[in-house]
Amino acid sequence: MKTRNECREWRELLGAYALGHLEGDERAGLEAHLEGCPGCREELAALAPVARMLPHADPARFELAPTPPPELGRRIAATIEGEKQRSEQRRRRRIFGGFAFGGAAAAAVAAVLLLFVFDGSSPDPGQPVRFTDLPEGISISAKLEPHAYGTEIHMYVHGVPSGTLCRVWLRGPHGASYPAGTFRYRWGDDSDAVLSSALDISRTREVVVDTGKRTFVAPVNPPGATATTGQEEAT
Amino acid sequence: MIQLGTSTRGALSRERDVREAYAAHSGELYGFAVRSLGDSGLAEEAVQETFVRAWRAGDRFDPKIGSLRTWLFAILRNVVIDLGRARSVRPGVAEGGIEPSVEPLDEALLAWQVEEAMRRLGDDHRRVLVETYYRGRPYAEVAEELGVPEGTVKSRVYYGLRALRVVLEEMGYED
Repeated sequence: MKTRNECREWRELLGAYALGHLEGDERAGLEAHLEGCPGCREELAALAPVARMLPHADPARFELAPTPPPELGRRIAATIEGEKQRSEQRRRRRIFGGFAFGGAAAAAVAAVLLLFVFDGSSPDPGQPVRFTDLPEGISISAKLEPHAYGTEIHMYVHGVPSGTLCRVWLRGPHGASYPAGTFRYRWGDDSDAVLSSALDISRTREVVVDTGKRTFVAPVNPPGATATTGQEEAT
Repeated sequence: MIQLGTSTRGALSRERDVREAYAAHSGELYGFAVRSLGDSGLAEEAVQETFVRAWRAGDRFDPKIGSLRTWLFAILRNVVIDLGRARSVRPGVAEGGIEPSVEPLDEALLAWQVEEAMRRLGDDHRRVLVETYYRGRPYAEVAEELGVPEGTVKSRVYYGLRALRVVLEEMGYED
């Protein structure tokens, strides 16, 4: 009959045993105890998988606990808000499109409504960015909008293979890159991707789009500057 | 398992839920993204993409199948694969001073889990595991340095492993 204390003494050796650190009499004694103690065997079985996981970790990283920058949450919220507004806009387009097919009178009403909703109440304040010298069949354009958190980017991409992952970032005055996010180009989808970056629009010098095989760069002109030509970056 | 307060299907379809999910899980997701991509800018991108995809697919999240945390990690895993592919097509994009992980992704996830669990351990427990296991130092030497009996180092190793198991289970690990 084992006492509770006896078990506890052996149990406290189970960690060193599971790590292969126990030797000599202590090891032999513990193994003899394990033979006759299902409770301690069960405890060892619970520790063994944890001990097997240890070699996978890099102790140099125990002290490193990277934390996301505070603006990341705001950027995500802004991106989702932008997407929500766009899907709402598309939904309204579908509704009004349905009207238009309903008959001539309905079409006239829809036309008036469309004019009101999209021309009247949705002015387009974005600063256009031109990508020029693009390969044949590919068109890329962007519009930038200033926000307190940074810059909202509306990206239009056409002509790359459907499903292409596009990565976008802005470059500041000294070439520092600020990620704006990723999106997938889908064939037949004529919507724009709404992204955001922490870089203020006034400090934005270039918009960069990486489509995997190619990277395209377009200059962003500060107010009053003359237009320069966008180019394809050598990759 | 860490569960979000909401328990209905489509728990991420509202922006408020995304904010809650971000508050609860962004640190871990970002930590793993940095671990596997080795670049803080790309990691930010990956976390952003993860939450945007989660929001888009919010209706498909079913807490009866798995925790929100597990679901977000599954999305992040796909995002990291996509970004890794994009990077392999165009090497040299990574910036920043953190060494990228060269392990396969599942290995990186396992490694990150253990490292994160280690960070959450109490100092005493982490210290004895680092000294005896990772640095391979004799128990007697560690005991002398800490000013405690050797038996105490052994018992701390035991309680440290137990605590590690509890933390891993809280993080969603199952045998």
